[in-house]
Amino acid sequence: MKTCLIVDDSRVVRKVASRIVRDLGFAVTEAAEGAEALLMCRESMPDAVILDWNMPVMNGLDFVKALRREEGGKTPRVVFCTIETGAEHIQEALRSGADEFIMKPFDAEILESKFAEAGLI
Amino acid sequence: MQENVFNALADLALNASGQSISMSKAYLIEARLAAIARREGFGSLDDLVHTLEARQNPVFRAEVAAALLPRDTWFFRERGSLEALVQNRLPERLAASPSGRIRIWCAGGSTGQEAYSLSMLLEDDTRADLTGAKVEILSTDLCKHASEKARTGIFGHYEVQRGLSIHRLLKHFTRLDSGDWQASEALRARISLRPHNLLEPAGGLGKFEIILCRNVLSGMARSGKSRLADSLANQLAPGGLIILAEGETLYGLTDRLEPSSDLRTAWVASGTANAKASAA
Repeated sequence: MKTCLIVDDSRVVRKVASRIVRDLGFAVTEAAEGAEALLMCRESMPDAVILDWNMPVMNGLDFVKALRREEGGKTPRVVFCTIETGAEHIQEALRSGADEFIMKPFDAEILESKFAEAGLI
Repeated sequence: MQENVFNALADLALNASGQSISMSKAYLIEARLAAIARREGFGSLDDLVHTLEARQNPVFRAEVAAALLPRDTWFFRERGSLEALVQNRLPERLAASPSGRIRIWCAGGSTGQEAYSLSMLLEDDTRADLTGAKVEILSTDLCKHASEKARTGIFGHYEVQRGLSIHRLLKHFTRLDSGDWQASEALRARISLRPHNLLEPAGGLGKFEIILCRNVLSGMARSGKSRLADSLANQLAPGGLIILAEGETLYGLTDRLEPSSDLRTAWVASGTANAKASAA
């Protein structure tokens, strides 16, 4: 079974995304910010990461840059999921190593569509 | 919903657009008519139906009939058939075209995502035989509002995230101050939009080398399907293709069309499929 790590400082967003991703057939783990997520990736690299941008300790942009430098860190498909929806934010996320980008708010259809675009399903 | 109200609306849908709606989908009727009911100040669908029958206003009837149509569409729906069309069929159709021009009809194109998906595929295709190709895309829909919305090329937050990769969104759309996204001039230039009822004669639209009529047949009653099949056959240029959605068929609806011998979901003028296969 594929695995997905959901990284967001909002417990509500993590719960909503988790339910959708489980319905897509993924085993789900959660982290509340980037540093915690990076430690979890070092333990076990997930197939997918859903990633918020603005988080305490380590934000999403710094997380994805650090992830891509890790051994095996190029493997996970990273899907940003954030309220930052300007074109310049999106471009910065993609330059930093993200594969796809979801602009909040989102629903199950959007998440499924983006996972398909990222080659995860 | 009371049975007489449902029956009145189901009859309207059947007569105006050939759509068949069962009582089990009554909740869809309520959802689809909610905006009109609110705007006109109707307290219930009973009031709306009574007004429809009392006023006999053809414009209002047409608006209600259009609102009953299924609207769900998204970019790159059944992506495989769109990609196969652009990558394989368009170059050969262009080569065979005396005018060097190809006309594509998105029949029942709703709010335009199908037409814009095709336009994006053409923009992204850098092969020499498609570069600068004259491809015209006409998208029609019974609903005037859907056609007008499609003409603007403006799509909302949820629409641009269904079926569309972030890379294509950035490449082909611009974010507006409203938060919506507008398709580029290059995409829009290739597309024309107009309202059209698929049950009406389509002679005025001209002939098309490719007709996409996907996810339209499946919601129609048989009488509407037969009329539609003949209408599509009438507008097909020699050697042209009609593309349906997965699971849809024209079998038993017309003897003027037959399945393509080499492209799933495609139909051609009768007598041409085997001729093409033999020639190959």
